[in-house]
Amino acid sequence: MTATTAESGFFVALNRGRGAFLRFAAYLGAMVGIAAMAKFGAGAYEENAFLYQILSMKGLMWGGTGALAGCGLAVVASTLKPSLLDAKSARNFVPWLDGFVLMVVLAAIWALFEPAQSQISYDNQSNLFAGRVIMAMNVVFIFSAVSYIAYLFAPDSFIGRVATWSAYAGVYLGGSALLLRWHESYLFDLDIGHAPVSNLYEVFILLFCITAAIYLALEKRYQAKAMGAFVMTLVSAGVFFGVWLDSVGQADIKPLVPALQSYWMKIHVPMNFVGYGSFAVACGAGMAYLFRYRLESKGGTSKMLAIFPSLDQLDQLAYKAVAIGFPAFTLATILGAAWAAEAWGGYWSWDPKETWALIVWLIYGSYLHARVSHGWHGKALAWWAVAGFLVTVFCFLGVNMYLSGLHSYGHLS
Amino acid sequence: MTPEAFMANMPRMQSFPSFFKYIWQRLGSMSLAIILLVVLAIASVIGTVLLQNQGQADYLQQFGPLWYWVFRSLGLFDMYHTWWFLTILGFLMLSLSACLWRNVPKMLKDMRSRKATVTDKALKHFQYSNRWQLDGVSDVAAIQAAFQKRLQGWEFRTAEEGDRHSIRADKGRWNKWGYILVHSAILVILVGGWMGAHFGFRGNMAVPEGSADNEISFLQGTQTGHKTMPFMVRCNSFFIDFYPTGAPKEFRSNLTIIDGGKEVLTSDIIVNEPLYYKGVRIYQASFGDGGSDIVLKLFHMDGSEAITTASTQVYKSWTDKDTGIVLKITDFKPYNVENLADPGQAKKFQDLGPAVEYEMRGPGLKPVKIKSFMNPFVDLNGVNHGSFMMISLTGDDADYKPVALGLDLTHPVEWKLFHAFMKHLSALSGKQSKQANLEAFRAAMNDVFGEGERPKGFQEMAMRTLQAVNMLPQLPWPILPVLSDFTQHYYTGLQLARDPGMNVVWIGSALLVFGLCIMFYMPHRKLWLIVQPKDGGMTVTLAGMVNRNHLVFNKDFHDLFTKLGDDFAGLSS
Repeated sequence: MTATTAESGFFVALNRGRGAFLRFAAYLGAMVGIAAMAKFGAGAYEENAFLYQILSMKGLMWGGTGALAGCGLAVVASTLKPSLLDAKSARNFVPWLDGFVLMVVLAAIWALFEPAQSQISYDNQSNLFAGRVIMAMNVVFIFSAVSYIAYLFAPDSFIGRVATWSAYAGVYLGGSALLLRWHESYLFDLDIGHAPVSNLYEVFILLFCITAAIYLALEKRYQAKAMGAFVMTLVSAGVFFGVWLDSVGQADIKPLVPALQSYWMKIHVPMNFVGYGSFAVACGAGMAYLFRYRLESKGGTSKMLAIFPSLDQLDQLAYKAVAIGFPAFTLATILGAAWAAEAWGGYWSWDPKETWALIVWLIYGSYLHARVSHGWHGKALAWWAVAGFLVTVFCFLGVNMYLSGLHSYGHLS
Repeated sequence: MTPEAFMANMPRMQSFPSFFKYIWQRLGSMSLAIILLVVLAIASVIGTVLLQNQGQADYLQQFGPLWYWVFRSLGLFDMYHTWWFLTILGFLMLSLSACLWRNVPKMLKDMRSRKATVTDKALKHFQYSNRWQLDGVSDVAAIQAAFQKRLQGWEFRTAEEGDRHSIRADKGRWNKWGYILVHSAILVILVGGWMGAHFGFRGNMAVPEGSADNEISFLQGTQTGHKTMPFMVRCNSFFIDFYPTGAPKEFRSNLTIIDGGKEVLTSDIIVNEPLYYKGVRIYQASFGDGGSDIVLKLFHMDGSEAITTASTQVYKSWTDKDTGIVLKITDFKPYNVENLADPGQAKKFQDLGPAVEYEMRGPGLKPVKIKSFMNPFVDLNGVNHGSFMMISLTGDDADYKPVALGLDLTHPVEWKLFHAFMKHLSALSGKQSKQANLEAFRAAMNDVFGEGERPKGFQEMAMRTLQAVNMLPQLPWPILPVLSDFTQHYYTGLQLARDPGMNVVWIGSALLVFGLCIMFYMPHRKLWLIVQPKDGGMTVTLAGMVNRNHLVFNKDFHDLFTKLGDDFAGLSS
């Protein structure tokens, strides 16, 4: 047996069976533990320095106890029912959670490069290290998009690998930069600090990472590399918008307005972007479908066709992405309603953002109806996925730019 | 179209029940569902483009009388509560109910009955099927055992028809519950929403510090409605906390609930933490000035050097007896954080201090709106530029222009100096040399401070006085009211809401998410293994069916086929 197979055997063992199941249970337990700390811990949830509460001894105790309890329960459960060890949910989720832990480690390493405390000032935030990591992410994502497009024209496995790895690098850079930014927000003043999901610039970076990560997961499972050219191009377009936001001074860390000081923000916003990101991937799959459809209808037998997934596969991939996004978006909207019930006096106010979220939900809801129950397939649904994403973009950006309402803290000023 | 012609276009009806049946079928149809979803989406757009629940006068001004009338008749200014929007929602509910009524029994039956046998004819239509020819294998039980071993956690059922042996395996058999849950969840949510709209309320109450109130007001279509609460809410204090940057950090009200004349509960509320009492939630929604006490200094511009004072309150009018000028105090803010950096530079926020806003009217004067700041403007280098105000000649907030008055009016001595300087300047009678001006100023200084005496920072004072000489005579008003003192009182803007349907909505939401997870992530997968002896061996057919997620199933099916092939090969050897 060669060393490489031994290694891959090790990784396979790590992400399957008992190893994966126990780790999954431990992660879940740790999350429940942290949530319990926020809810029941001494002093309960505090907006100030929540990051450090998690990273402190207290957080370690709550999270660690949760993880151990999760592990213990998992051992008991898997002894009672051994088939649990093959549970797909564990196998599918563990790599994501591992990846997140790696991101935290990466962010801790970046934190070493932070300027001295005396150099940090709220008025001039340009010397903070997260900005540099984000700039690197921008470059890497654009490079990845270019590589994916190059791969379409020169289907060389090396180019394909470069494209995929740079997309991975982008996700890790972006994710760790956001975590670092969370830490940085506390460097000005403990009062100012907050989770990095409070303004358009931050959520944009979150969106890039989630979109790319969902795409990479699909690529890995279904070998749909040709789709990357479309998804990563969308991400790159977003990157340019992010750079523009930075250039007009929207990238600064600002203190939270009172309405946003809630733990709901940390759940509602990321969950929403899981939805948006999946819809972006569905749009990429739809575009790839339409592109291939056009190539085929021209009667071409170009080399490009050989690396494209089949029309049926692309159709399935778009559906797959919507199937991830739709429940996530539904949950996010419900979480938003729960937050609104706590902050604004009603779970639904027909605020433009809420209404547009409903519109997005209705559009993807009818997409699913048309597909699953009406048996629609192919071109019409590919267009639907693309159009649905345009509406999503309006919900995400347009509402903030053109319509006013309760969500106006996402406003471009 | 006449009703007769309309009926003629409909499918021919024999009797009322068949017409009813026709409608019933249409109601539960998927096409209607998709149309309703899309229509609802499009209708919702209108309400986001057209600002809802604004003042009628604003709408009239914005759209003109014709379109105002059209929009108003359609109820577009409060669109989400109009009969036609609610009708769409009602139709959605009807359609959902019809769909559930029709499909649930079928689905429940489907989930229960698991036919193990498959005819050869049916087998041809399977999307996934594959077969082996196994020679030298005759043990059906061994084949079945191998099949079941590969499918941990599946449910099995077997059947025998002659020599044909069928095994059916099911996973995610309850997937159809996902559909049922999701669709009934939406019904539940809509019912919860209706309950909230009918039996709940949501309104606003502005309570000044120190007073109590029990009446809320809310918009009812285009009118304002009122409702009396069964208890009083007293605002003991309102407090704003600020970040070091000057942005507001927290709005906090200390409230006491008075029920039946007794104080039952005293508590703080902040934006994300409402108070709950007798089914009513009390939220921190806004704040404003609750009638602060204001003292204005009135600088008389008639050259008399007189300074009088006016003590009044926000929201009150004050009339100056001498000049007939009326000051209507509209607002007071203790903090006014502004960006003082030049455009394009890094932002520098600075608090300009307390300011009062008033409208000034008087005989022969154009009314103006003025925001008068209490403190002089001191720039970022510490240079005192004197008192200033913002003046809007149109009364529109967008037209505010800063006006530097020159003098630092917090020091009455500068007012004196200004007049002394004016007096000496007029004594020059037309001589406009720089030297002469300087002489006049020196004389004015000597008058005010004594021969040769100079106060600290008199150079800046000289600059200010020079500017005042240019500026103040241009002002058309006989008095110049400047904020000099205040005692602040806030009001806290509370929102009071009761929603008996809210928990129903949460239950519906939980069902929705739960149902979606079942629907999307637990597809119903069915496999059949059909074993039939043939030519001394066995023909084994593996067939599969799935209602979702074909990509994964396709892969799994082929994996299973390969693995089972290996297993079966082991049996024959």
